Formats: sequence, C-alpha cells, structure tokens
Amino acid sequence: METLHINAKTFEVDGDGFLTDPAIWNDELAQQFALADGIETLTDNHWAVIRMIRSHFEEHGNAPMVRTLCKETGLKLKEIYELFPLGPARGACRIAGLPKPDGCV
Amino acid sequence: MTTPPDSKLQTHLNSCVRCGLCADSCMYYKAYKEAKYIPAAKVKIVTAAYRRFPKKKISEKMLREMVDLLFGSCTMCGRCVKHCSIGVDIPYLVRKGREIVAAMDKVPSSLQATVDAALRSGNNMAIPADEFRDTIQWMEEELQDEVNDPAACIPLDQPQKNIHYTLNPREPKFFPLSITAMAKIFYAARERWTLSSKFYDVTNYGLFSGDNSAARQIAGNLYDETHRLQADRLVLGECGHGTRASRWEGPNWLQTACDFEVLSAVELMGEYIRQGRIRLDKTLNQKIYTLHDPCNLVRNGGLCNELRFVVQNAVVHLVEMTPHGVDNFCCGGGGGNLAMSEYNERRLKTGAIKAEQIRQTGAKVVITPCHNCVDQLIQLNHTYKLGVEIKTVAEIVADALILT
Repeated sequence: METLHINAKTFEVDGDGFLTDPAIWNDELAQQFALADGIETLTDNHWAVIRMIRSHFEEHGNAPMVRTLCKETGLKLKEIYELFPLGPARGACRIAGLPKPDGCV
Repeated sequence: MTTPPDSKLQTHLNSCVRCGLCADSCMYYKAYKEAKYIPAAKVKIVTAAYRRFPKKKISEKMLREMVDLLFGSCTMCGRCVKHCSIGVDIPYLVRKGREIVAAMDKVPSSLQATVDAALRSGNNMAIPADEFRDTIQWMEEELQDEVNDPAACIPLDQPQKNIHYTLNPREPKFFPLSITAMAKIFYAARERWTLSSKFYDVTNYGLFSGDNSAARQIAGNLYDETHRLQADRLVLGECGHGTRASRWEGPNWLQTACDFEVLSAVELMGEYIRQGRIRLDKTLNQKIYTLHDPCNLVRNGGLCNELRFVVQNAVVHLVEMTPHGVDNFCCGGGGGNLAMSEYNERRLKTGAIKAEQIRQTGAKVVITPCHNCVDQLIQLNHTYKLGVEIKTVAEIVADALILT
C-alpha cells in the first residue's frame, strides 16, 4: 500500500493516488491533491464540482455521470474539463477523495 | 479446471530458446534494464507454470511473480513477436499464463472489479440504464445545435437498422463528446443506425483478466444484442482491445462465426470517405497532428493503412512518430494496465517512451482510435508536460465534415 504525507500526517492511497479510505477525506486534503495536479487555487466552481461528487458518492457509493455534474452545478462540459485538466475521473474524483472508478480511466 | 490439449501453447512454449533478441523490443525492459522484464523471461515463467499446472501445486511465491510479470509488466502489445526471429506468440503465452492466475483467483483486484461490473450490469462502469439514456438525450441536443437541425437524432434501441454501434463506457460516463462526434458522422452519411440502451459496451476485460468464461459472456452480450436488434452490421467504437475481443477472439469464445458483419468505426469512416457518403475539408484541421497506433488495432488488427487513409483525409499536417505503424510502441496502458492501480508508477515510467516519441514529432494534437490509449495519453501529457491535445479519429473527422 502506498502512502501520502501531508503536513506530518500519513494517508493510505492506491497506486494511482486515490484515497483507500474515502471517509478520511477533508477540504485540506482536497487542496493538496489539487496542488499535486497543478491546480494552484480551488475556486468556487471547483468546490461546486467537488461537493457534488462527494454528496453523490455518499448517497450512491460511486462517481456521478458527467451529465449529472453539469446539471447540478450549472457548469458546461467544457468548463469541467478546463477546471480539472486530468478530467472528471482522474482529476475531480481523486480530489474529491473517491476510490478510482473502474474501466478505462 | 481441466486443460484441454493446446498444441499452439505447447509449440510456442517449446520454441522459445531464450535467445533474448526480444529484449530491446519491450518497453518494460527498455525502461528498467532488468532481465526479469525481457519477454523471454515471461515465457520462462509461463513454461514453468504449465509444467506444474493443473496437476501440481503452484507456490505462493511463484504465483506472486506471475502476477507481477504477466499482469504488471506486460501490456500484451505484441511488439516482441515482431522482433522474435521465429515469431513466438508471446502475448498469447502471457494470456495463457494469466488464465492460470485467473483460475487461482489472483487477478489484480482493480482489473477484476472492471470484469465483475461488466458481468453484473452489462457495462464495465455499471452505468444505470436511465442515466445512460439521459446522457444520450443530452448529446442528441448537442448534436441538434451542432448541425442546426432539430430532427438530428441519436437513436436508441431501434430494431432493423443497418448498424448497431457500440461505445466505451467512459464516453457516456465522463467524456461524451466523442458520441456526438460519431453521431454527426452518421448524420452526414445519412446512416440508419442505433445504440442499445442495455448492451453498448465495446470493451471486454475478460480478454485481459484471463477468465474465458467471463470473456465468453461479455462477447455474447454484443452478439446477442445485435441479433435482438436485427442489425446488419456490428460497428465497434474506437477501442483497441474491444475490437480485438469482439472481432477476432469473440467467435472462438462463442464457438460460432458471426452471421452479421463486424467492423471497426475506423473502417466505417474509411468506407464513407471512399463511397463519397461523407465529404471532408481537411483545411478545417490546421494544427500539426501525430497519430498513436493502438496495438490491438494496428499491430494485431490489420488497420495500419486504413487508419492513415482516414486521418490523411481529415488533417493537413500529419507527422509520424518514430517508429510507427506495426512497430509502434504501446502507450503503456494496454493489457488492462490502465485499469490496474497497482502498477500506476510503472505504467507512467514505461509511458515515458511514448511521451518522448510524441515530443519529437512537435505535434500539437495526438490522434488515436482507442479510448484506453486516450486516457493513458492524457496522463502522459500531464506527467511529462507535453502540451498536446488528445483526440479520437471520429472527433477529427467530425471537425472536418462538410454538411450539405
């Protein structure tokens, strides 16, 4: 198991850097993940996406469709891709502390 | 598990004399320079395993090595076969080795989860049918805006059409614009086509997990659905392994030939261009482009020339990688590796070869007809700061369409 060290705390992550235990996620961790992806500051739009992914995960146990993300946040598809350069899965879902989605992502 | 006599397995296992000529063909050996990554060393462990399996026990230690070498250190890209002086089918042997691992329930968990989702739900991301329909309707609206025609549509579950078209689930789930791109091409060609709302998944991770019974069931989903829809042609969306699984391996797993035509979206686009069913203005794509050859479509799929025919008709400036075509390097995400978190670090290190190939072309856009390659290339772009865009062939062709 890989580990991630942030501010003297240790977090378990899978080989792709996704949290092994999504329950330990918090805002600070989101900021650190974002920084590692080259996102200097998380804007309100970033947070809107992250919060929506989180609440969907807590309710359904998986990542939302990008369709749901656009509908719920009012953001356009293009804006989501610009906000998260690694895309909704490897980018946004990782920052939101989800486990890695299955499949070709 | 009973193992029927397999003459190909025995011939190829016994033919490898460990000469090592294959070493430099392998991206894992090139990246790490460790002897254990030489393809012949992978053949060696499969040989040792089949001396024991299924009669004698395989030790835990050996099983761990098999998982690491056959899953975590091989994308089954087949480049070694082209560099083997006697043509030993090494990816076939690696697949046979994976069958033993699968029979002992030791397939890496993230790869197994992808297979399980497909078996359980009909698609490898377990997308619920209502959410799929909602996304398709959304993309239909995008299409209508794009072509300025409220009658343009993305048909779902319509019987007796010419084409049953298939998708990689990552399209509806996260990257749906490639669906609109292909729909725009169908619109321009005035094609009679449909998607299925239940069995649209072109992938088959049973090919990579080594579980033949899972592979058979997943291949059967598309075969049966094409019959249910009474379609004349099954068109495989841009997916390397999925095309291989449905077109070349599927009939073997199902023990039956397909009584409908099976072809890839790349071939279909080539056909439309040749027959004048679509017209392209390549000056609409003015950037510098390069092409990444998915192993299962080009080296192992025969589409080398057809892929270039389509791309050359859609862009002005194409710069080829060195090497390219049947000798091209894998993106690093093949063989199920993109799905396996366990080997992320290794996958990005071997991917440095592809990243450097791309950088050398000076291209601003990388085109590739495989969604799995697309995702690995997105990661390579980010990791190695290549500053490129990644596009599918349908996206490039859709951008060059002349709509009349």
